Amino acid sequence: MKKKFFALMMACVMAFTMTACGGGADTTGDTTSGDTQSGGQTASDSIVIGTIGPLTGPYANYGLSVKQGAEVAVAEINAAGGINGKQVVLLSEDSQGDPDSAVSAYGKLMDDGIHALLGCTLSGETANVVAAAAEDDVMILTPSGSADKCLEGNDKAFRVCFYDSYQGTAAAQYIVDNALATEVAILYQSDVDYSVGLYNSFKAKCEESNIKIVETQTFTASTATDFSTQVDALVASGAKVVFTPIYAEEASTFLTQAKGKFASDVYFFGADGLDGILGKVEQDPSIANNVLMLTPFAADSDDAGVKSFVESYQTAYGATPDQFAAGSYDGVYVLKAAIEKAGSTSGAAMAQAMTEITVEGITGSMTWTADGNTSKAASAILYFDGVGKLFG
Amino acid sequence: MVHFIQTLLSGLSLGSIYALIALGYTMVYGIAKMLNFAHGDVIMIGAYAGIVIVAQLGMPPVAAIVLSVVICALLGMLIEYLAYKPLRQAPPLSVLITAIGVSYFLQNIALLIFGSQQKAYPTLFEVPDFTVGGVVVDGGTVLTLCTSAIIMVVLTFFINKTKLGKAMRAVSEDKAASALMGISVNRAITLTFAIGSALAAFASIFYGITYVYIKPTTGAMPGIKAFTAAVFGGIGSIPGAMLGGILLGMIEQFSKTYISTLWADAIVFGVLVLVLVVKPTGLLGRKISEKV
Amino acid sequence: MKKKLTSGASSLKLLKNNSTVLLTAAIVIVYGILALQLYGGGMSRQVANMLIPISVYIILAVSLNLVVGLLGELSLGHGGFMSVGLFSGCLVSIALAEHLPMAVRLPLSMLIGGIFAAVVGFVVGLPALRLNGDYLAIVTLACGEIIKNVITNLEITGGALGLNTRPIYSSAKTLLPYAIVLVLMTVIVMMNLKKSKHGRAIMAIRDNRIAAESVGINVTRFKLTVFMIAAFFAGAAGVLYGHFFANVKAVAFDYNMSIEILVIVVLGGMGSVPGAIIAAIVLQALPEAMREFSDYRMLCYAVVLILVMLVTNNPTLREYASRVHPRTLWKKLTGKKKKEVE
Repeated sequence: MKKKFFALMMACVMAFTMTACGGGADTTGDTTSGDTQSGGQTASDSIVIGTIGPLTGPYANYGLSVKQGAEVAVAEINAAGGINGKQVVLLSEDSQGDPDSAVSAYGKLMDDGIHALLGCTLSGETANVVAAAAEDDVMILTPSGSADKCLEGNDKAFRVCFYDSYQGTAAAQYIVDNALATEVAILYQSDVDYSVGLYNSFKAKCEESNIKIVETQTFTASTATDFSTQVDALVASGAKVVFTPIYAEEASTFLTQAKGKFASDVYFFGADGLDGILGKVEQDPSIANNVLMLTPFAADSDDAGVKSFVESYQTAYGATPDQFAAGSYDGVYVLKAAIEKAGSTSGAAMAQAMTEITVEGITGSMTWTADGNTSKAASAILYFDGVGKLFG
Repeated sequence: MVHFIQTLLSGLSLGSIYALIALGYTMVYGIAKMLNFAHGDVIMIGAYAGIVIVAQLGMPPVAAIVLSVVICALLGMLIEYLAYKPLRQAPPLSVLITAIGVSYFLQNIALLIFGSQQKAYPTLFEVPDFTVGGVVVDGGTVLTLCTSAIIMVVLTFFINKTKLGKAMRAVSEDKAASALMGISVNRAITLTFAIGSALAAFASIFYGITYVYIKPTTGAMPGIKAFTAAVFGGIGSIPGAMLGGILLGMIEQFSKTYISTLWADAIVFGVLVLVLVVKPTGLLGRKISEKV
Repeated sequence: MKKKLTSGASSLKLLKNNSTVLLTAAIVIVYGILALQLYGGGMSRQVANMLIPISVYIILAVSLNLVVGLLGELSLGHGGFMSVGLFSGCLVSIALAEHLPMAVRLPLSMLIGGIFAAVVGFVVGLPALRLNGDYLAIVTLACGEIIKNVITNLEITGGALGLNTRPIYSSAKTLLPYAIVLVLMTVIVMMNLKKSKHGRAIMAIRDNRIAAESVGINVTRFKLTVFMIAAFFAGAAGVLYGHFFANVKAVAFDYNMSIEILVIVVLGGMGSVPGAIIAAIVLQALPEAMREFSDYRMLCYAVVLILVMLVTNNPTLREYASRVHPRTLWKKLTGKKKKEVE
């Protein structure tokens, strides 16, 4: 008897948990656009855009930038009358940088009735959400998911940022164009897809362009505290450019330990992952001296659009926007253009429209191919004594 | 040759930090007979204490050293009192799971208070580098090495010559018999935790000076590797922990330089597995016969 | 094991035991309700996306329970076993994606992934013959980290970029039947093993190895078998998990994941299969239900872990302190009821 009772009780507990969980889906996420509180009841009179990214955890700076950049754009669009007369509502979900959690977050956003997804922030998240959304009529536009393959398998997926192999190639091209060096050294993180992706394409382009790679050093997440052997090897190589396709946090540790060991004319050349490096070395900004960052967005540019964005962003969040925020700001305008061109929020119609539109954003002039990629011009920012300036 | 000496020095630097942490592990394991999985996280708390004391409260560096030692010692005693003491009679498995719980607890408390972004450890004191035969020797490395050596000597003296030390050794041999001899078992174990955690505070200071950035997960990997070092040297043995720490640091840096940075982790953990399987008592450990 | 699964008659024979039947029935009922909702369209997307990961965690917890609960050894390498199974099984599945239908390919790749994981389980289990307690825990942790390091550096598994599993990606609707079968299989095997002669031998090793040896129990064989069976199911679950995502990376299966599975086992009650199942559901569903409080999730894990250990080891709370190993909270509750009923 008691066993039957026990089994029954267990069944009840299980069913209850699942239902409780389903109930949880009715509650709204982080509603940020001001006047509308609930995403569920707004389907007809507004356009709901979702974002997914790490709002907590070690990559939170990227996710928060994306969320805040989108908020600035949504506020501007709503003030100017919305998209096709409809107000825009932004719903943001946290993924903690975990691809598994991002898929659940996507499910929750779908339950809340989003019309388009601006996300995810990281490539791993994007790849899984893009696959999970293959059968939904929803367009996905990632502001920052840069892995080459993360848009595969879903023809309604696009991106605002560069893709990894393009960035690596562009970085090598930049070295050639500006005659920075003929011999380079590389430091990359061997257990991070972003870093390996850039490394591979950079290496291929270097071989093509007769740039000699004189030293290659790696590290992993668990050895990212001690860079002494890598610093010694890179210094010994005598290369004038160290290509560092790594994230800002690891870069700050590396640069701190490298401080004073490299010659003063050696550049540390990286890509979008280095964005936010100054925030990581607040105690001594000179650590980031000679860091050169390839980016489509420079906050100190003279462009009117950039200036107004930087100003609104600073007023709202008290910080200078990075390229993640800029990409996400552009992303909202891209979605607006696509919806207006398509005349609906159907993912298939918007995907069709994407290949036909040109968007002049603050990260450059963008057109899209059917595989979801865009190409735009990249410039480089040089950091010195805590200030980033356009290089060259 | 210069390359070799540089690797040797960076191996010594990393190894002496492992040795300091391993000394704490070995003290607790040798006397309380438990694997204090949270030891690495005590280091992390010590490092945050240093940051708060100097960078936020503006106190002098000496205060940071003294206070972080006191804070860590108190924290160690508190953890022992709350989490481990009630489990004195429990099977080792329960104690280990509790220790993992304490480790997670400390990491997540730090995460809530200090956030997930890294914080920079203040420069407590400048140690000048010096040049020997064309090779730049990092002053911090020499200081860490000397401090670990001094601590090792003091600890050995304390354990072997003082009354408290003898009591601790007695507890390590046989709890029941030492209780019969009038030794307070609980006090001896509390003292062990206090000393072990104070050593963690020293480790946190040298870690902070050498590697600068502190995160809530900072203590986890060094903790596991230092445990590897303690086992390597023979757990429970104080010179063993010192030797194991330095050897492990050397193995890690030499495999990074001469084999591959890709495989450094696998090599370090491979060494651990090998040592445990071939010679579970470690290099300098005593053979312990199984009681039936 | 596949045979037991496909032939209905023999699996009925397996259900000879009353509590196994009830537990199986309960699982079938719950999954039945969920399946009705999922295929009927009444289920929210958030819940639908959680079905497969939760099923995977159930299998992981139930299989780890065999090592921790029954054998009484702490394994912190379960994430590593899962990872081995996932990568080997998914590679097979990708290779066969265009040649075999799903119904053949997925079970086959699960079997292969499971076998690969079992082989690694055997290798990791070897040190278990010489070591126990803390030392073994650390060795399994080290093995898990080595596995992670090796898979991240191999080219065939996609290295750091991760394995592109898009060719075999399947939605929850496709995978649910396979998940249900695998969960049932794991549960039935575990429940029957626990009650069998072999299960009692394993528990005898846990309670007193020397005594067990002296009555002729082959400790070596049983220890290795336990490690292999647990790794097999973890590997098979890994293959299922890999099919649900478009890209998988070895770094996700580190010792933190192994600890997460351990937390489920401890919370559910060591040795208890239904406990592990409920704990897996609660611990996986709760953070999703309360997304806003995700910062506190790990903190709660930690507190629960410590409290469960303190409570179960408290002599005044332990009425049945006859065994060396901690009785579980869950067992104690049901145990007390038993006394009242009788």
